[in-house]
Amino acid sequence: MDVEGLKAIGAALAIGLGAIGPGIGIGIIGGKAMEAMGRNPEAAGNIRTNMILAIVFAESVAIYALVIALLLKFV
Amino acid sequence: MLKKLFTVRNLVILLLVVALFVVSGLLGLKVPPPEVSLAAEPVLHIGGFAVTNALLTAWIVMIILVVAALITTRHYPKDLDNAKNSDLVPSGFSNFVEWMVEGFYGFSESVAGKWVTKFFPIIMTIFLFIVVSNWIGLIPGVGTIGLLEHPASGAEGFAAKGAILTAQPAASGAEGFILVPFLRAPSTDLNFTVALALVAVFMAQYFGVAAQKLGYFKKFLDLSGFKQGAFMGVIQLFVGVLELISELARIISYSFRLFGNIFAGEVLLAVLAFLIPYVVSLPFLGLELFVGFIQAFVFMMLALVFFTLSTIRHGEEEHH
Repeated sequence: MDVEGLKAIGAALAIGLGAIGPGIGIGIIGGKAMEAMGRNPEAAGNIRTNMILAIVFAESVAIYALVIALLLKFV
Repeated sequence: MLKKLFTVRNLVILLLVVALFVVSGLLGLKVPPPEVSLAAEPVLHIGGFAVTNALLTAWIVMIILVVAALITTRHYPKDLDNAKNSDLVPSGFSNFVEWMVEGFYGFSESVAGKWVTKFFPIIMTIFLFIVVSNWIGLIPGVGTIGLLEHPASGAEGFAAKGAILTAQPAASGAEGFILVPFLRAPSTDLNFTVALALVAVFMAQYFGVAAQKLGYFKKFLDLSGFKQGAFMGVIQLFVGVLELISELARIISYSFRLFGNIFAGEVLLAVLAFLIPYVVSLPFLGLELFVGFIQAFVFMMLALVFFTLSTIRHGEEEHH
């Protein structure tokens, strides 16, 4: 197998495996936020902004994986 | 239900889509899959300064924003003290802008408290700039109309039929072409997002110093732990180093979050357009509109939260 092919597999593995954790995390955050909104609908706006913030922090792990994937693919 | 689907308008749209398929089939127009280029390509040179297509589009975005601001504030009376009530009532576009700005101002106030007057101009500018930058890439023609140029050595080009690129590889001997678009969404260029991230991170330090003077830097170099023995002192020093690293990592996460989301979205749209043309891209265009808005909002909100955090004295949470 040539270097290009190995690089492509490496990039795909980097982003693919790196997306698992944030995916689970975002799912938990979203689910818990829905639960909280259901219990206390008045606080929905506040919960939503905090939920987005938490999602963003979970997502940034996936972003680091994306950085590695892009580095492997293009640099 | 079914009756509502068969309106004249929908029929015309259906016919147009079918006609597009037929025409592109008859003409044999088969364009190559888009060249995914991570870096923005230079399109014109001013002196020794190469202007890339992303930079050009960023200038267009600025013009759009300035014109929108002028239109919004055009009919505001100059002399506010002697203005009649009826002169102050916004209408149309400026009504929409006032509603939006007021909504964001209220939201920012709930996060930043008394600092909102300092933070709001910066974060709102960032938000508007990013959201227009994200959406401009979704306009048809941006990223698809451009000059045919010879690819850099190593990459393979395609044969061109007149002004249109075809999917056939270039004939042996002759040099092929690739498309270099005139316009490209600024958020798909890493330079743009890193610049915004640097501004956001620097302003967080600025507001930290403005709020707590030199006490802000205690966050990075905390010697107070030595009062509780050498071990705690070393731990506090190490925490300071971690704070410094997290501050620097913010530049990366800010910039790559925006860049990654928008760039991936553009690539997704381009790839889908080649799987099944005209039809399948449509729901994803809607998705990209949403993603563009959310990413701009997230960038704004993170900047707001980090500005606010840096104005709060470090360790205030522990000893009330």
